Amino acid sequence: MRVIRPASLEAAETLLAAPDARAAAGATALQVEWAQGKPRPAVMVAIGALVPAGVTRRNGTVTLGAGTTLQAIQRAGLPLLSEATADVAAPGVRRLATVGGTVAWGAGCLVPALLALRAEAETTAGWLPLSAYLAAPAGLLLSFRFPEPGADATLVWRKIGFRAAFSPAVIVASGVRDGARLTLAVGGGPVRPALLSGAAAALVEESDPAVWDRTLRAAIDAPACALRSADYRSGAAARAFVHGFCGTAAGSPPARPRPAAPAAAPALRRLSSEIGGARWHVRPDMVDKIAGRAGYLTDMRREGTLVGRILRAAHPHARILAVDTTAAEALPGVGAVVTARDVQGVNAFGIVFQDQPAFCTDKVRYLGDVVAAVAATDADTADRALALIRVDYAPLPVVDDPEAALAPDAPPVHAAGNLVTTLGLTRGDADAAFATAAHVVEDTYITPRQMHGFMETEGGYAEVLPDGTLVVAAGGQHGARDRMQLARILGRAEDTIRVITSPTGGAFGGKDELTVQPALALLALKAGAPVRLHLSRAESVAAGTKRNPMRIRMRTACDAAGRLVAQSVDVLSDCGAYASLSPGVIETALEHAAGPYRIPNVRTEGRLVYTNNATGGAFRGFGANQMAYAVECQIDRLAAAAGLDPAAMRALNLRQPGDPGFLGQVVAPSERLSEMLEAAAASPLWTPAAVTGEWMEGTGMALAWQGNGLGTIPVDESAGEIVLAPDGAIEIRCGLDEMGQGLHAALAAAVADRLGCARSDVRPVTGDTGRAPDSGSTTASRGGYVVWKAVDLTAPSFAADLKAAAADLLGLSSEALAIVPGGVADRGRNDGPRLTFAALAAALGPERRPSARADFSFPKTVHTKGNARFIFCAGAVVTRVAVSRVSGAVRVLDLHLHTAAGPVIDLASYLGQMEGGAVQGLGFTLSEDVVMRDGRMVTTNFDTYLMPTIRDAPARMTVTACESLDPGDPYGPRGAGELGIAAITPAIANAVADAAGRWPVVAPFQPEALLAGALEAYP
Amino acid sequence: MIRFRLDGVDVALDLPPDRSLLSALREDLGRTTTKVGCEIGRCGACTILLDGEAVNACLLMLWQVEGRAVTTVDGLAGDPVAAAVMRGLSEENAFQCGYCAPGVVATLTGLFAADPKADATAIAAALEGNICRCTGYHSILRGALAAARLLEARP
Repeated sequence: MRVIRPASLEAAETLLAAPDARAAAGATALQVEWAQGKPRPAVMVAIGALVPAGVTRRNGTVTLGAGTTLQAIQRAGLPLLSEATADVAAPGVRRLATVGGTVAWGAGCLVPALLALRAEAETTAGWLPLSAYLAAPAGLLLSFRFPEPGADATLVWRKIGFRAAFSPAVIVASGVRDGARLTLAVGGGPVRPALLSGAAAALVEESDPAVWDRTLRAAIDAPACALRSADYRSGAAARAFVHGFCGTAAGSPPARPRPAAPAAAPALRRLSSEIGGARWHVRPDMVDKIAGRAGYLTDMRREGTLVGRILRAAHPHARILAVDTTAAEALPGVGAVVTARDVQGVNAFGIVFQDQPAFCTDKVRYLGDVVAAVAATDADTADRALALIRVDYAPLPVVDDPEAALAPDAPPVHAAGNLVTTLGLTRGDADAAFATAAHVVEDTYITPRQMHGFMETEGGYAEVLPDGTLVVAAGGQHGARDRMQLARILGRAEDTIRVITSPTGGAFGGKDELTVQPALALLALKAGAPVRLHLSRAESVAAGTKRNPMRIRMRTACDAAGRLVAQSVDVLSDCGAYASLSPGVIETALEHAAGPYRIPNVRTEGRLVYTNNATGGAFRGFGANQMAYAVECQIDRLAAAAGLDPAAMRALNLRQPGDPGFLGQVVAPSERLSEMLEAAAASPLWTPAAVTGEWMEGTGMALAWQGNGLGTIPVDESAGEIVLAPDGAIEIRCGLDEMGQGLHAALAAAVADRLGCARSDVRPVTGDTGRAPDSGSTTASRGGYVVWKAVDLTAPSFAADLKAAAADLLGLSSEALAIVPGGVADRGRNDGPRLTFAALAAALGPERRPSARADFSFPKTVHTKGNARFIFCAGAVVTRVAVSRVSGAVRVLDLHLHTAAGPVIDLASYLGQMEGGAVQGLGFTLSEDVVMRDGRMVTTNFDTYLMPTIRDAPARMTVTACESLDPGDPYGPRGAGELGIAAITPAIANAVADAAGRWPVVAPFQPEALLAGALEAYP
Repeated sequence: MIRFRLDGVDVALDLPPDRSLLSALREDLGRTTTKVGCEIGRCGACTILLDGEAVNACLLMLWQVEGRAVTTVDGLAGDPVAAAVMRGLSEENAFQCGYCAPGVVATLTGLFAADPKADATAIAAALEGNICRCTGYHSILRGALAAARLLEARP
């Protein structure tokens, strides 16, 4: 591409007459367009310096130079427009984008505001109304002008988006009533910007909101898209105008039963830095992370490292006829091209069973399938080489729906058929109990294909060391298992491979399965040089595992008093193209099918089905949070039917400590459900539902009951090692991964608390099979126990050996010494160490430096009829939400999260897990879904896959911890990783139902359904 | 040749003018302090300061930074506002995986340099374009408020 800065507007226009030339000012829309496949122009004509910039207000007219940035407009205090600009894009984009660019682009959110203000545009061809310019754009935009609305004018601006901020528009509505003149306009997103002149003329004298609503719905021409219907778009815009010009009357919601405050609310510790006091520590990895030098594996840059790229399937389902890499191999600068032909071992992987090829041979089953990979001297060469690989496909029919995939004539994704697994249980006689129950509720709850959305996508590097060891460094969650899977693929002994898995920039289950490791390893081996590889976001979206979408049909019944009598559950889940951990996910979902409640008659059935959609797999919550959504909504619906408040209903049906688990297994002590329920009942958030103008407010709760660990059947072993290192650091070696959760903080805390040294004396060594033992996977809320147990088992002998060694050197008895921050000191004195750890390490030498190792199992039951958890942690969520009567959007105002996961190892890390889990759950509930059509992603990047922003997070959020354990409970801290997300969705759903009278049964919640419910409840 | 100032040092790069600043930093110069998240301006992981204002490095093509001053977190060492931002964020354990952190530091440094008295509302408005997947944002907000207190306490 050439960039030309013409000297004059005339020169610019001459250059732009060429078909492959494009004008650019802020140029902020171009990367998105190019990412969507639009071609880059041959010539970019930079016009930014030629067009006027700045805002003037003179004689009742506002004039904007076309080069004025959106930020400048936002700060200019202009009527309507400044408010509108604050809703466009985000601050970083607004500093670059210009108003001329957004109008010339034609689809900007700001255009309806300019139309409503009756703006005129000045182009190189002269002045004309903005609407005329939009109808036939010609010439270069130079400036805009519009009359200042009168002081008593009514100004309406409403951007309806997919989340609270930095959202693409669903539709934008903007209007001005200035004296006798009414101007209305819509636009934004896929809506063609348009003045609603006819409707405005008809409504200028009208005061009946119903007429406004009817007239506007008929006048607004809005298309449907994959995410929102045409009716929703036009209806919400009409409501926005009605609300803005006519107002929305308050309503009076019915009085619903509220929990009675318990006699004595449990004393729970609220977690924060202020209250944490001496328990609040800066995490050991915090300063480096903030400075950007945490050493992520995708940040490795070393001379001579090749850049890798992966060629993925061109079709979601196709037979591969031929793969020709000749031209790619011949390209100068290419170090290696690998395909299935290079796989020396078993060309298959998968944590549960091995149905996924490292490199495809005969067919591709989803768009993430790997066909080939290249390594070249730089990224551009690697991209060119990738484009030179020729793959001949014979496309096959695509199966993109699990129901359709079970049809007898459905195209088989795998030779053995599309049903991956089916499981379930029957206890008692659910049908008989339903027949005589006082209340029965039944519904189908639909959950999204949520994406992990870790900020660092999959990637890393691989190299062969001079001693022949293959190093594969890529973000992961269980290095030893990655190594085992790699050894199988490569046909190579495990002890010749070293796998480094952390630090990694977020994982949440999405880096549990192998990702880029096979391609990296094969490229480095074949090229004989180090290779690095980092997936683009779009590639990560297409290739990475996702949360399994589920359709949960649930029927639940209670007697007249509210006691649960029966439940049937039928789950149909989309596995995607390969199994990965999806069989475990559906099994876990079904294990949580009764939540923490006693239900005597139960029938469950689950089916997991292959499709050509994105592959499912592990994701924080692992099926339990999907099931909790259905269970906890059913409980609230039955409570309403039985006339009970949500807490009383739960108290009546709560499992009691010592009850068998859902599968009949023994459950670990220290159950804290009743404490959590009491905390929820005592919440100050249980104010009555309220309807004031636009917003309907309501309160809801849900209980969390989350199994920890892998269950009875999988191997769940662990190990840890503690060593006085040569430099005097106390090394705690643990094969878990630091992926953000605070593993290093937890290890340092556990060692320091147990030994008496300072946290800064401790050096955690993690995520590296070459330097730490196999501690099992960093998943399933098992890390907290592993850290605690490893230290619990190794610290006593290590401390004794350390003191004995020090005593020997000092000529004292061991009993006279104590471990203190920095070293070993005289017991009972606090004047600092007599012997520092560094001096001790130096004096002892390699043979005599103390160390200890422990190998242990994660606690399990002996139950083997099903895969049953032994340890559970409990929680409760109470939330206050507001639902818009204009758009159906949900805002979470307050969120209180009560947690009981045993002793908190590191306060800040624990708080972070809870808050972060809660907001990730909020995203699942309100805005996140990888939408697919015909096996292809509709949501390809963060412009359409919408994770919560800071504006979407609850306005206020508090977290408490109940840390006690039963006397004699030997199991220590419970898992904190999944408790935060466990019950967020149902709590919000129950609060929405309290506010709007209807339970949302599709997540992310469909604003259209909520709006329909609101209009029904408060017409 | 495209010339600009990078972290206080003049650089001249012989690269295509439409190469993104982010790609030039990470791929051509090996400067990986600035992170890559989406490459379309929708996550803020690559936020840098352009003449002191926070913008997305992935949206800027090299021709757009000609003659201007680009500051990454590497170039903020010694900057008193950035030091307060980093200390506030650190004291509150603002981050978990940390991958979004350099972008947040750049955004907040730009904010407080322009408005040392920025309150919670201004902080949230400034951070609308910085996606964090780990924390739920409240710890970042607490860290930013801690930074604001440090700045206020400056002599």
